[in-house]
Amino acid sequence: MPEARKRALILGDGAAGTIMANKLRFHTDPSQLEIKVIGNSVNHYFKPDGVMIPFGFKNHKNSVKPTKSLFNHGVDYIHDTVTSIDLENHSVRAGDTGEISYDYIVIATGDRFSTEDLPGYNEAAHHFYSLEATLELRQKLAEFKGGKIVVGQASIPIQCPPAPYEFTFQLDQYLRLKGLRQSTEIHYIYPLNRVFTMPNVSSFVEKLMEEKGIMVHKLFNVDSLDPVSKTLSSLEGEQVPYDLLILVPPHKGQKLMTDSGLADESGYIDVDRNHLNYRDYDNVFVVGDATNLPISKAGATAHFESEYLANRIASEVSGNAFFESYNGEVACTTITGGQEAITLFFSYSKPPRANFQSKSDYFLKWTSSDTYFSAMLRGIM
Amino acid sequence: MAEKPTKVIDARGSYCPGPLMELIKAYKQGKVGDVISVYSTDEGTKKDAPEWIRKSGNELVGIFDRQGYYEIVMKKTR
Repeated sequence: MPEARKRALILGDGAAGTIMANKLRFHTDPSQLEIKVIGNSVNHYFKPDGVMIPFGFKNHKNSVKPTKSLFNHGVDYIHDTVTSIDLENHSVRAGDTGEISYDYIVIATGDRFSTEDLPGYNEAAHHFYSLEATLELRQKLAEFKGGKIVVGQASIPIQCPPAPYEFTFQLDQYLRLKGLRQSTEIHYIYPLNRVFTMPNVSSFVEKLMEEKGIMVHKLFNVDSLDPVSKTLSSLEGEQVPYDLLILVPPHKGQKLMTDSGLADESGYIDVDRNHLNYRDYDNVFVVGDATNLPISKAGATAHFESEYLANRIASEVSGNAFFESYNGEVACTTITGGQEAITLFFSYSKPPRANFQSKSDYFLKWTSSDTYFSAMLRGIM
Repeated sequence: MAEKPTKVIDARGSYCPGPLMELIKAYKQGKVGDVISVYSTDEGTKKDAPEWIRKSGNELVGIFDRQGYYEIVMKKTR
């Protein structure tokens, strides 16, 4: 007698959920596995283009697609909001849909901006982590006539950790092209005693910042900001005035994860770093920014995690043994300014090496939205 | 160690910058006079945490080798 068709339920329709669903569809027989994705976004924005769009280096229209158009044939997409998760009974509840049962659940709900953690943020700061904010910032930069710009992040962790330095290099390039660099001071703030989390990449980036005349404030953990006097203050007692503040907002995991008991107050879920399952549940997995893994919160990470997890679930569904583990592999290309970029490869045990920058890496970055929407998101690479 | 910690953070197994961020979080939540202790296995934190404690104007009580991990102790002075 043939086994009953299994049911995989993926929570989240961002990069992690979409890649996971499409990869899993490629790896499994639809007669053996049903795949449902539940999420509530209308559009899918390719966030890495936030370091291009504010400067007019890319048109934002190429960076957005309707969410529902991005799932492969055989993936059932449900546009709804999950309101509770019941791991013991293998089910979730969603607003209009009601109860949905599963055999495997993959939590790919990402994280959120917790601007409530930094009073004054919404009045004073700009950022480039959503399309709406990025377009506002583009307008603000178009009006900018010179002065002091402060760039940085409100806290750790954030999505795409290299983005603040990428943005800073692009800003430097943009101001040079507009003839405003001489009349503008760029100040880069960072919470650690370097300019990036990974020491060897940090050395490379810090040298470039010095060459470009970017002023660096290390060990600057944002404590408060005053929109009236336009001053940013650190826990360490330093104050930096600004004319334009570009600050990546504080992040937290989704509140639903805390409310459901899957995460602590931070909202990030503790998962097995080599197998991506939650605690001792062998049918509950977490991928992407929702985890508290010690690696970058980025689409590139979700991509590598999904490759591992899709193979694992597919093997189990088809009755094959699977002995591999996820070792924290990630690869990403980051801009270093002047149409140059570096590509970093790293894992839990191997830190990245930043040896050289190149124009071909910049081209790779510039075209990455096309690669993302046509191949990576579709699960075919 | 003379003073008993007011708060102990067990960040063993967590990688940089996790332990330092946990320490900063505890600092923000604490009050002047608190003694905060962090257990860590991450070598980078051994350098990062004391640097942050000094820069922030607080007191580094000490760094102590324990069995399989180390302990960094700070006193909140501001």
